[in-house]
Formats: sequence, C-alpha cells, structure tokens
Amino acid sequence: MYVYDSFDHAFVRDRNAEFADQVARRLSGELSEDQFKPLRLMNGLYLQLHAYMLRIAVPYGVLSSKQVRKLAHIARTYDRDFGHFTTRQNLQFNWIKLADTPKILEELAEVEMHALQTSGNCIRNTTTDQFAGAARDEHEDPRPWAELIRQWSSNHPEFTFLPRKFKIAITGADRDRAAVRVHDIGLHAKPEGFDLYVGGGLGRTPSLGHRIKTGLKGEQLLSYLEACLRVYNRYGRRDNSYKARIKILVAALGPDEYARQVEEEWESLDKAAIDAPAAEIVRIRSFFPDPDFKDAKFDRVAYERAQTADKAFARWVKNNTLAHKRDDHVSVTISLKPVGLPPGDASSAQMDVMADVAEQYAYSELRVSHEQNVILPHVPKADLYALYTRLDAANLSTANGGKITDMIACPGLDYCSLANARSIPLAQDISQRFADANLTDKIGDLQIKISGCINACGHHHVGHIGILGVDKQGIEFYQILLGGRADENAALGVITGKGLPAEAVPAAIERVVQLYLQLRTSDSERFIDAVERLGRNTFAEALHEPA
Amino acid sequence: MSLLNSSHTPQLVTTDGEIIPDGWTLLADEETTGVDGPYVLGFDRALKELDGLNGHYGIRVNPGDDVRLLLPFIEKITLIEVSFPGYRDGRGYSTARILREEGYTGAIRAVGDVLRDQLFLMLRCGFSEFLVKDKDPVQAIAAAKSRFSVFYQGAADTNRPVWALRHTVES
Amino acid sequence: MKLLTANRLTDGLTLWFSAAGWSEDAAQAARLDDDAAEALLTEWKARETEVVGAYLIPLSAADAPVQREHVREFVRANGPTIGQTADEIARLHGRADIFQEY
Repeated sequence: MYVYDSFDHAFVRDRNAEFADQVARRLSGELSEDQFKPLRLMNGLYLQLHAYMLRIAVPYGVLSSKQVRKLAHIARTYDRDFGHFTTRQNLQFNWIKLADTPKILEELAEVEMHALQTSGNCIRNTTTDQFAGAARDEHEDPRPWAELIRQWSSNHPEFTFLPRKFKIAITGADRDRAAVRVHDIGLHAKPEGFDLYVGGGLGRTPSLGHRIKTGLKGEQLLSYLEACLRVYNRYGRRDNSYKARIKILVAALGPDEYARQVEEEWESLDKAAIDAPAAEIVRIRSFFPDPDFKDAKFDRVAYERAQTADKAFARWVKNNTLAHKRDDHVSVTISLKPVGLPPGDASSAQMDVMADVAEQYAYSELRVSHEQNVILPHVPKADLYALYTRLDAANLSTANGGKITDMIACPGLDYCSLANARSIPLAQDISQRFADANLTDKIGDLQIKISGCINACGHHHVGHIGILGVDKQGIEFYQILLGGRADENAALGVITGKGLPAEAVPAAIERVVQLYLQLRTSDSERFIDAVERLGRNTFAEALHEPA
Repeated sequence: MSLLNSSHTPQLVTTDGEIIPDGWTLLADEETTGVDGPYVLGFDRALKELDGLNGHYGIRVNPGDDVRLLLPFIEKITLIEVSFPGYRDGRGYSTARILREEGYTGAIRAVGDVLRDQLFLMLRCGFSEFLVKDKDPVQAIAAAKSRFSVFYQGAADTNRPVWALRHTVES
Repeated sequence: MKLLTANRLTDGLTLWFSAAGWSEDAAQAARLDDDAAEALLTEWKARETEVVGAYLIPLSAADAPVQREHVREFVRANGPTIGQTADEIARLHGRADIFQEY
C-alpha cells in the first residue's frame, strides 16, 4: 500500500496544526459556530444527535493491520469502544469530544491516517473496488489512480468551497464493484484509457452518470478532472443546496453541453502544470505491488476434507470468499452483518482480531467495502480454515456475503441528525426474519439497502430491494423500492405503492422473496434477474398485499 | 465587545502583509466618472463602457460573472475586486485562477466575507490584496503563508507541487 | 409547555435545561412556559462558547414531544435503540425511557 514520504507527513502535520488552531479559536469564541462548522466538517467532524461524530478517511478503503489497531485504540480511548464502517469505505466514531479531536488526529497521523475531506463541500474520499489488486477480472489496478487523485484533491485551493460535496469512484475491472455510475464522477479504466461518467448520484434526485469521455489517458486524468470541477464550481447552483450537486448542472445543461464546456476549459488549462509527470505515476504505482505471495503447499484434499467435516466452514467458504487471481489464494469477506446486530459496527476487540488475522494470514492488508464489510484481499487457501476459526471465535464468521442479510444500512435516526427514520432496528428485524442460513442460501444473492432519509447514505435507490425511511406526523414509515442495482448494469429502483410501518416491512419482504422463489426459472436466476424479467409490478403487488 | 474575529472592521492587507489604503472609489452604475478616481466599475457596466474609456480602471466581479469577458479590455484594468458574498461561496477562487492563467498581472482583491481561514486558498489562487475581517490582518497573512510547507497541486502562486519536488530531489 | 435543549460545545453531549441549569439527563428537563422558553433560547443561542444548536421542543398534553419530533427526541433522550455496541443513555442515568407515549 502507499507509504507516506516526508512531504506527505509534513502535509498532514501542517493540516492538523491548522485544525488544532481552528478548534482553539472556536473554544475561545474567536470563531462562531457558523464559521467553524464548514471548517470542522472538512476535518470529518459532525455534530450528530447525541454527540460529535468523527469520520476518519480510509483512502480508497485500504488499511493495514497497524492502522486497524490504531482505530481499535481510538475506539477504546476516546469513544465507546466501537466504530462504524460506512458506505464510503470510511470509519466513523459516534461519541467524540471536540476538545479531543486534535489529539486523535495526531494519533492517526502516526499511522499515516487523517480525517481530511470526509465531509464538507469539497472532493471526498475516492472509493474503489474492494478487491483491487486481487480480482481475476481486473485489467487495471485502480489504487494508484485513486492515490493520485487523493493527493491532487488534498487542500485543493480552487475546490474547497464547491457548491456541494463531490464524490469520485474508480474501478479497473470488468465487473463494476465500485458503483461508478452513481457518483459525481465515475472512472472505469479500459485498455484504451478511462471512460469518464459524470452526474450520477443518489439522494433527492437519483440519476445515472453520463459517459462524456472515453480513452482518457491516465497521464491527463488530473487536468481533465480539474476542468470538470472548474465548470461545476463556476456554474453549479448555489441557491438551493438540494439542487447543488453536479448531476443537476449536467441535467440542466445536457451532458453534451457540459462535456463541450469541459473540453473548452481543458484546452485552456496549462496541463503540464497540473498533470503529475510519468515518473510520479511510476512512483505511486511502485507502492502497489502484489504481496510476496506465500507459496504455501496447498493441500486440496485437506481443504475439501475440512469443508466436509465443518458445514459452517463450507458455507462460509462458499459465500464469503471470492476467486483470486492466483489459484492458491482467495479474497475473504469478513461480514459485519451478524444476524440481529447493527450493520457495519465493529468493537475494538473485533478490530484487534481483524488486524491480527490479517497480519498472520493475509499479508497485513485489509479493505473496507462500500457494503460495510471488511475484506482480506489475499488469503492463501492453505490458511483459510485457521483464519475462519479465529474469526468465528470473535463473532466475525457470519456466512452471509452478498445474501439478503448482508444489508447496507445508514446510521439513521439512532445517530444521525439529518435522518427522518431509523434504519438499523429495521435491518435488525429483517435479518432476524431471515436468520435461517439455509433459507438465505436458497434465496441467493439479494441486496437490501436501507436509508433513513432522502439523502440516501444507505444507497436505497440501487438496492435490489431498497428501503427509504420517511416521517409521517411523528411515525416512521418505510417506502420500498424494487429493481435497483449498482453494478455495471446500474439501474435505479422504483418506489412501489405506499409506505409501510416498520413492523410490516419484514413480512412484506418475506412475501416478495417467497414469490420470487416460486417464480424463478432455476436456482441461477437471481432475484434481480427475475425482477427484470417479470417486471417490478409482479413483485410490488406481493409487497402490499397481505398473504 | 464580541470576541468574534469577524466582528472587526475589515482592513486591506497585501500578500506581503502590508496594510494599505484603499484609494479606489466604487462607482454605482448611474454615477459618472469625475476627478476623484481611480474608479471601480461594476461588471456589466465595464463590459458596456470599457471599450470607449481611456485610462485604467478597477472592476468588481461577482460570483457568476464570467471573468473571461473582460479579457479584450485587460490592458485597461489594474484592479479586479472579486466579491465573496458569503465565505462558503467558492466561485471567486476560479475567477482568480482564470485571470492569472490568462496572464492578467494586475491586482486581484478579495472583498466581502473574507476571513483568515480563506487566506491560504486565496494566496494560492492568485489574489494579491485582501479586505479581511480580523483583529490582526498582518498576522493572519503571515499565518496563511507559513501554515503549509507542502502543496499537492500547481496553482497560481510560485509554490511547486510536491510531485515536482519529488522528482527534482531524485534527479 | 416547552423544553430547552442543546449540545455542549466541548464534548457535544446532548443537554436539557433543568431547574439546576444544564443536565445530561432528559428526565431532569424543566417544563417551561412559552415566554420563559423563548427568553432562555435567546440567551443561550448567544452563549455559543458553552452550548451549540440550542432549540425548543414543544410538548403535547401527554408531556411528550409533538409530531415529527417525537421519534427524534425519543432517541435523543434515551440513546440509540439498537442494543449491543450502542450506548444506552437511559440505562446510564438509571431510569426508564422517557417520551414513550405516542
């Protein structure tokens, strides 16, 4: 993974000193709350329902064991012993003291981490494929490009007060696991260069990104992004924050006109002053080699015998491992979705266990997925059973990767000051309903995504089943969407009928699922395939019709 | 008196940390130019009248104004005031950068809601004068200039992006 | 009747205005008549180095926050409703949940 040099260390040190000064000025009264708010947000510090929340940047979701141990330490020392992994591949703490934040940032800097630009109207953490560098279908490792963007966007003098937040995602595989078409800018690396999508997003006005550029050379990526951002910064709406995202500008101008303005701006830029030279790209790439793959003697017979002897292990291998580019390795998903518990939460003890097993079995490398799980990208098959046993002892072996209980849920009204309804208790109720692992295996791949308000942090528009919490006169209701997907065939789900009260939702979902099981042509027709074949209405009726 | 820094009367300070007198008069659109120049003209008026005017002028640019429209008259312009109606409106940063990219070498002055925490960004984008609300504008400029030693991007100032330094060091 | 609530600047914790000043326990919140509530709100909005985000919570006849504030204030007063890794404020204060009635 990327390792800071003296420049990177100096930058984070300077930036933390700036924030410590801002905190001191806020505490003394030199800064008003109105003035301080955008400054603290640019350091990931929110004031939520119960306390300050600190969102820590995990650049493109990549973590080392050492970093995870530091996060565990922060959870224990400054928070209430747990953290929450987010859909932007970051980690947030829910009970942080303002006065402690400079100290926490110092601790993070020791392990080359920070909380910069995890909020605010600036360029946010670039997200990517959690299986980058390991997946079989990858032709370009997106991590060096994400790192290049991270550096370019850090403290960018022109783009720190954009109309709204700005999110970039990048993938380099055939299958899009980074949801590039629902980002402000999505980059899909192809052999001839990047495809660039603009104006995708969820929230109040969900839309899929438009491809405005193909064959963009990596060496010109930064200047092109600069042109895209400049047009947005100058002409994005600022009169109404709900209409300030770039998707609104692109829709108003039309993708062709937006693209024309970008090209014109790009022509006017001094590209050589903006684009990092080839040598810098080579330097950044050099930090992302394959790990020193262990040529462990892989005993296929023993591997299969372990699965025969331990059915739970066999299930976990089937659901939570992904084929690796090397036959003797796999990528492992550590599910943070145990039945009945908050999706994405991990205790400090669990973080320590994940750090330890990554060190022992997975070359000390971990990833955060936007599905709110933790990934070990490279695990020798020879070590898989030993790894599983360690995870199982820490309640980290839930075998539901990609299944109906592997839900995305935003923090919702249990924590978030923007939410209209709770998300987590509903996720817990649904997962209790589908607690039977045989049933979830039979159902197969099915993504439920839950948001507690229209801002869509829980990605409800792109869930196979999406759930949106709304408030009606002090009572929480949930609208159900069907047919969304965030992959290379991205589609937006459609709201079906009236909202349901929380207690009616699990049964409604169960009716839809039972109907799917009746109607599917074979086990290999996934839920989303059946919805697309038969139409959403077929299933919408089951949602709202008592059985 | 409030401790709030932004409650201080704005003072005009330069990149070099000098407090300077204003010396310019902002003309309302209906006012005619007299002897008490130099004058700052509104953006629309400037576009209409600059062609027929002699001498040197300052121009007020608001967010949303396309500063490139001034380029045909740039020889007549020695001051551009870029206004920040609220400090979260970041359009002025692009305005300043475009001016510098197009070769404008006159003064670019930040006016409006200008607070010490913006000065670093403004310095990088090519501003040269700041009408800043702060109890100590000179110290605010000094702090903005010394806060960072590393810059990840090329911009309108003379700081070299870190990638340039990295590869100079190596070669 | 109204309650006055805010968050403490230094640690962000949720506070309610009680007979003895600010309290971390919603059960201690003073029921304020409207004029007194408005006056206190104005005062505390200006005292930004102590608390932030001060606002009033209107109460129903059943002594619970009204309408759309109900769920939000229930969660704010009693803590996250999700068990396990969450903190339970009500338990912390050794009391039952408040603002239950719908």
